[in-house]
Amino acid sequence: MTALAAGRGLSEPGRSWALALLYPLAAAIVALFIAYPVVELLAHAAMSDGRVSFAPLARVLSEPYNRQAIYNTLLLGLTVAVLGTILAALYAYAMTRVEMPGKAVWHFLALLPTISPPILMALSLILLYGRRGLVTHELLGLQTTALYGYWGLVVAQVLSYFPFAYLLLLNLFRGLDASLEEAAGTMGAHPGKVLATVSLPLLVPGLAAACVLLFGYSFADLGNPLLLGGDFPVLSSQIYLAIIGQYNIPRGAALAILLLLPAALLFFFQKHLSARTAHASVGGRGALRHPQVRHPAAKAGALVVCGGMSLVIVMQYATVLAGATTRIFGINNTFTLRHFSAVLAGSRNALVDTIGLGVAAAIASAILGVLIAYFVARTRRFGRGMLDFTANLPLAIPGTVIGLGFALAFNHRPLLLTGTAFIIVAAFSMRALPYTIRSGVAALQQIHPSLDEASTNLGATREQTLWRVLLPLLRPAVIAGMIFTFTRSVTTLSAVIFVVSPHWSLVTPTILSQMDRGDLGEAAALSVILVVLVLAVIHGVPRLVGRDWRESA
Amino acid sequence: MKDSRLDISALDTTAAKTLEIRGLRKTYTMRGGRSVPAVRDFTLSVAPGEFVTLLGPSGCGKTTVLRTLAGLEEPDAGEILLDARAITQLPAHRRRIGLVFQNYALFPHMTVSENVAYSMRIRSAPADATRTEVAAALKAVGLEALGTRLPSQLSGGQQQRVALARALVMKPDLLLFDEPLSNLDAKLRVQVRGELKRLQKQLGTTTIYVTHDQDEAMSLSDRIAVMNAGRVEQVGTPEEIYARPASLFVADFVGQVNALPGRVTGYADGRATIDVLGHRVTLRADRNPPPDVLVLVRPEAVRLSGAGDGAIIAVVEELDYRGDRIEYRIRIGDTMLVAIEAALGRRGRVAPGDRVGVELAEDALHLLPAKMEMPA
Repeated sequence: MTALAAGRGLSEPGRSWALALLYPLAAAIVALFIAYPVVELLAHAAMSDGRVSFAPLARVLSEPYNRQAIYNTLLLGLTVAVLGTILAALYAYAMTRVEMPGKAVWHFLALLPTISPPILMALSLILLYGRRGLVTHELLGLQTTALYGYWGLVVAQVLSYFPFAYLLLLNLFRGLDASLEEAAGTMGAHPGKVLATVSLPLLVPGLAAACVLLFGYSFADLGNPLLLGGDFPVLSSQIYLAIIGQYNIPRGAALAILLLLPAALLFFFQKHLSARTAHASVGGRGALRHPQVRHPAAKAGALVVCGGMSLVIVMQYATVLAGATTRIFGINNTFTLRHFSAVLAGSRNALVDTIGLGVAAAIASAILGVLIAYFVARTRRFGRGMLDFTANLPLAIPGTVIGLGFALAFNHRPLLLTGTAFIIVAAFSMRALPYTIRSGVAALQQIHPSLDEASTNLGATREQTLWRVLLPLLRPAVIAGMIFTFTRSVTTLSAVIFVVSPHWSLVTPTILSQMDRGDLGEAAALSVILVVLVLAVIHGVPRLVGRDWRESA
Repeated sequence: MKDSRLDISALDTTAAKTLEIRGLRKTYTMRGGRSVPAVRDFTLSVAPGEFVTLLGPSGCGKTTVLRTLAGLEEPDAGEILLDARAITQLPAHRRRIGLVFQNYALFPHMTVSENVAYSMRIRSAPADATRTEVAAALKAVGLEALGTRLPSQLSGGQQQRVALARALVMKPDLLLFDEPLSNLDAKLRVQVRGELKRLQKQLGTTTIYVTHDQDEAMSLSDRIAVMNAGRVEQVGTPEEIYARPASLFVADFVGQVNALPGRVTGYADGRATIDVLGHRVTLRADRNPPPDVLVLVRPEAVRLSGAGDGAIIAVVEELDYRGDRIEYRIRIGDTMLVAIEAALGRRGRVAPGDRVGVELAEDALHLLPAKMEMPA
């Protein structure tokens, strides 16, 4: 990091030996912890008795149950993609184009699921609508398992993942050049015609990108299928059962490949679509003056969409909070803190380990991310395109697949890491790496190279320029990357389920096993602690470290 | 568009319209409830086929007036009449007013032809008529060969012409331009400006043009409305605006000006006698001016001669060579003046510190009451 920003001279070989060493080091880390596990996974899935063979894949595909799981995965993904995109589009439209009160609140609530573990949705749905759920069992007196299966998964995943599509569409709606719509209006197109001939054609690639994004999230989700899947097997839960339940590694690896291929295809398709939306938005003046719809019916509709959706989200969190503070939620509603004390007694190690490893991962990911961002954005080194591509692969690989790859790759010499804290930190930081790189590249693009030159011209040495100019300017990006890595690490389940060990336990797998045991109260209490912790980090850390220079512009 | 005589028969407009804007007012409410008046009591009459420019600094409300005409902003008060028909309440898409945007606003997902054909497609015009008129419009702007390109494949100047063709094809009752040349480089700007003027004269469409560039306004307009802080300061021909500005703001905005305090000592037969710079001048004045006045004199009306030749003696403080002209800063007593002389063909050389004679071209002097002095 020290030499990272040591001026633009690093494209001149020999002048900055530290960077000359750091580049191959960064490349080696990326190759070892991203490329190698995927290769290892492929080897397990496509090797039999030391030879290349598609027998494991063929065997997996020949089982009707697995074919059912593939079909289910696609069906679930498609449903979540379509419903989630419609919901996200309505939400984003209401937020950007309709005049209504409470926008800050609706925005905050819509984003809450993005920083919570996805299993939280499953937990609250079980508390409300499960076999002994408050609504189904206690209020309606039903003895039903209707929640478990397709519809339960659809609800849980739409609630968990539509916010990601909402964020994507929000930026798109905001960025769309208003003068295009105005121009259509002056040429005689009434508002409906403007929507049909100008706005929608420009938004289609973005809507498709949102769809594909949601499809990918649904694909990769493990927690909800495990808890709510019931008789509706999907690929991710089948991988888990193959590895943890049957200890059948070739089978698990083959299933993981079946999950990886479409997920990777979807990712690259989404990237392609997102690039196509770029031409629709210009930002700047044109983007600022979208007329706000003031029609009472539109306002009411917008409030119903945003308020209703927010209410549902609030209800999930309220349910978990209630579950954490009552003796037996729905049956004995006496207030108690005993779940919290039980959690703090029994799962303290998981909490401490999660925080410690999360912080370690945040530091590692931020340093590596900014370093790679620097090589990619500011140098012309050989192979930097390949480095960028590989380092961004974790976006395309479902967490379950990365986790399994890690478990397989580092379970034998020369790199026996299973059971260590290192493997967990590596899994955490590699998953977040694409985001820290993106944040670093964005920050570097805002820092014009003339700033380095100005500093040098004013008499600063390379080191002074680094310390006084570049690092202070990169600091917000580094901090944002660290916060993101921490948040994502402590809330992920899929990526760590195969690498946790008795020595190093983590919060999300602990919640999963508590729910497995039926300790819903403790699971809820631990979830509450996790959400509060993440919110405190997201809102507290930026306040502690001070203002972002970009905000004051 | 290169050729000044082009075939515009397909673009013939119906009879040009009269535009009447009365008492237009618009106030924006900012975040936090603060309200900012953008346009206050704007009134303007435009004759059929006339080219009128709204000229003013950024934030003076000129673009708001334009957007209100197009129906993109709703005025708080006021009336807009086209040939005596009120259109104030009409939504934008029913006005038939062509607007050329500053950023052109070309649809990025349509080809040049599709962009130009848009208004006809919206009105479900017959396909062959659409083809003919799109071709004519593209020919009029010299882009007949580029119909199949996407806007992103065109240069800035070409995009600007597509935007113009797109507005012409609608045969608008009124043609509006929102700083259409501001994204072009200086040479191209002058060229396109000439083409624009010729095209407008041939089509005879009533036109409102918004700019902050006084050169552009002078060169294009039949009349100019100079705006400041949401109000019209003066409406007049380019010559009136330049030679007889109604306020110091107008005088200053359309060029350099020397404003000299003077005292009126007499008025008879439409001529005022004024003491300025310790000398007496007589000049035309329509009314009896107040005793304290500002005498405005453009730098090019300040003539320098050898010391002793002129009535007034000045000292040259500074000399600024500008290629086609030379600007002198000269001091007369305590008053600084700017004088401009063509760089070529002048008699004798002047250096800083020289004493020179000064003559004010009396027919180029203009009077303003001293009290009206505007904050800069």
